[in-house]
Amino acid sequence: MTSDAQFEMTRTHQPGVSVLQARGEIDVASAPEFHASLAQLIGEGPEILIVDMSEVSFIDSTGLGVLVSAEKESRGAGHELRLVVTQPPITRLLALTGLDEVFTVVSSTQDAVNA
Amino acid sequence: MTSAMPAPDTVGAGSLRRVELSLAADAQMLFLARMTGAAVAARADFEYEQVEDLRLAIDELCIGLMSARPGAARLTLLFVWDDQGTLDVHGTLTPEEGVSANGRHPAPAVSGSSFELSERILDALVDDHGVETIGEVHRAWLRMRARNTSRDVD
Repeated sequence: MTSDAQFEMTRTHQPGVSVLQARGEIDVASAPEFHASLAQLIGEGPEILIVDMSEVSFIDSTGLGVLVSAEKESRGAGHELRLVVTQPPITRLLALTGLDEVFTVVSSTQDAVNA
Repeated sequence: MTSAMPAPDTVGAGSLRRVELSLAADAQMLFLARMTGAAVAARADFEYEQVEDLRLAIDELCIGLMSARPGAARLTLLFVWDDQGTLDVHGTLTPEEGVSANGRHPAPAVSGSSFELSERILDALVDDHGVETIGEVHRAWLRMRARNTSRDVD
């Protein structure tokens, strides 16, 4: 059985920048796959890692935990993780949890590259 | 949160409505709990933002329960709401003796940061919440009151 909003990811690369575009719901079922993709991208060592969540409709504490650990790993490797968030519920959730102070959050991939 | 767990029939005055959902404690089934929660919240006349809040709160409640006990278990959610806009959700995780957990997707072990985030989310989204464990049965509950003020005007 699959979720009502399947989780999908697409990866794109440009010099020094990797973009992981996520779609659907990031919950306890999809968080391990999300974590694995982020860990792989961090291992490839891009200067900037952008997680585009503009098409993510739901994220819970396990998904946020994955982002927090990815941010720590990126920072530890001297790289930067930036988030693209446009969905109001996710913007609100980042504010509720104080994570909007932890991440660089922008509204488009281009803004993330330029941030 | 340390409040005592309210009995399922103490939501408030007036008529109560109840919905019960029982499902295998499987990470890939949690979307059913979220969907049911959203439908109940809409039926209880919650505003859109609170419907989304309840969807997330129920997800967090279920994750907490499922991470409390590995192995085959059944997750039961009881939704009880009244016409004053108070909604209680009671979650119970009960071991399923003699049932194999093969093929099920357990909730991953909750890391410290995820647990802290989950608590922060529940504190922010619902009016009250709590957990208790009796023997091998784990329970969690939350209460949310509708912010929709139209019922106050009637």
